[in-house]
Amino acid sequence: MGRKTEITNLLANLPRLGAGLAYREPFRDELLQKQSEVDFVEIIGDHYLDAPPERMDELVLLGEHFTLIPHFTNLSLGSAEEIDPVYVEKITSLIKRLSPPWWSEHIGYTRAGGMTLGHPAPLPFTKESVDVMTRNIVTVRRAIATPLILENICSPLLWPGAELAEPAFISEVLTSGGCGLLLDVTNLLTHATNLGGSPEDFLAELPLDRVVQVHFSGGHETNGRLVESHAQPVSEAVWKLLDAVVARAPVRCICLERDDNFPPLPEVLWQVERARAIGRQHRRWN
Amino acid sequence: MELALQQKLVARLATDREFREKFFADPAGVAASEGLTVAAESFAQIHPEQVRQLARVLRRRRLAVVGIHLPLTRKALGERFADLFRNYAVSPPPGKQPFEDALGFAAFLEQHAAEKGLDPQWAPSIARYEAAELEATWLRRRLLVRCFPHAIKQLAALLTAGEVPPGSYQRSTTAVWWRTAASSRLKHWLG
Repeated sequence: MGRKTEITNLLANLPRLGAGLAYREPFRDELLQKQSEVDFVEIIGDHYLDAPPERMDELVLLGEHFTLIPHFTNLSLGSAEEIDPVYVEKITSLIKRLSPPWWSEHIGYTRAGGMTLGHPAPLPFTKESVDVMTRNIVTVRRAIATPLILENICSPLLWPGAELAEPAFISEVLTSGGCGLLLDVTNLLTHATNLGGSPEDFLAELPLDRVVQVHFSGGHETNGRLVESHAQPVSEAVWKLLDAVVARAPVRCICLERDDNFPPLPEVLWQVERARAIGRQHRRWN
Repeated sequence: MELALQQKLVARLATDREFREKFFADPAGVAASEGLTVAAESFAQIHPEQVRQLARVLRRRRLAVVGIHLPLTRKALGERFADLFRNYAVSPPPGKQPFEDALGFAAFLEQHAAEKGLDPQWAPSIARYEAAELEATWLRRRLLVRCFPHAIKQLAALLTAGEVPPGSYQRSTTAVWWRTAASSRLKHWLG
């Protein structure tokens, strides 16, 4: 099967979800009352592994009201060490339980030498890294049939000895792993700008036909550098980039992330509504 | 194997302040001592400021997660929560799960308060109370009892309402968490 056919099949089977929110505990009480304003909820899957019963009750409750998309951070698909089989078993079980249309992880690594970083670190843009990612993705896909999409990360560190440009590296990983792209537009803007490049140029080099989901969030500027803190309202630069992506990519959903400095939920939901309108404007959903 | 060693080195550089400074004093030498062969020389080209920025990014993410796990402590300490976290997060996060970092930070706060003091004086009690709740929840304790020298119930209510009350709030408090079985729901009593 050719690459184009494979992508077409992948996307054709995925539902158009609309605009949603990444679930965080401070939103818990208000979110259920605002069900009609959120088309889906993304959960951090790691927070429900080995979770106590009361935590799983929360997941059941969310699942009764929303389509849930699990997003993971600690699978560490970029780890050159062997992928953790126990962790794979646990996420397989959670994904089976949720039965989501797709699930997501990052292009990076969080485990190395017995350390768990808690947030993805960058990979060297080399053929060896592509091979490592591919090997680990194949292992995971043997256990989990649900489509996997991978997120671009934002990192100030560039490893020495790159063999590929970053967009080409991302493209290679997605192609060889048979994955969709979770495009984080705030990561893209922050990353490209801080490295002295153009977000638009970076975007132009990405395989936009593989975009399934988009993340967006607010950040701030410190000492002339952008910081994707997920702690502020979304900037106009991010809105502009989001619009450009939705205009060009077959986006199935857009998800707002807010991780800190939590305002009342209505202050977050107007941003979800604006994202929903962008999707409508570009006919990604009704 | 070389990539695994490189990843381990970058992970240590991004999370261990002491190791980071040692590395930048002699990048090629430290890379070689960590077992790198082919890449030892190229690692000498890593930009120190980029590594420090990566360390800040990872620390900021840890701070956000720990803040969600210790919400009352964060309110009690205000901006000092982040300042103190910076002093705590000079080494890799303990354990594999997010709550373990919060437990580590709560223990750090208690030690800091004992050695250097912490204002408000009841803040370490709030941190210890939240840490006990995390322990009872995530480690699925069947029975956990903690005593505090401060009025936890009253302080928790005020902090939840957005107030950081002045005053000492000295009053003995006992907190109990229990489950009838490991698979049953957690119960809590505070008096």
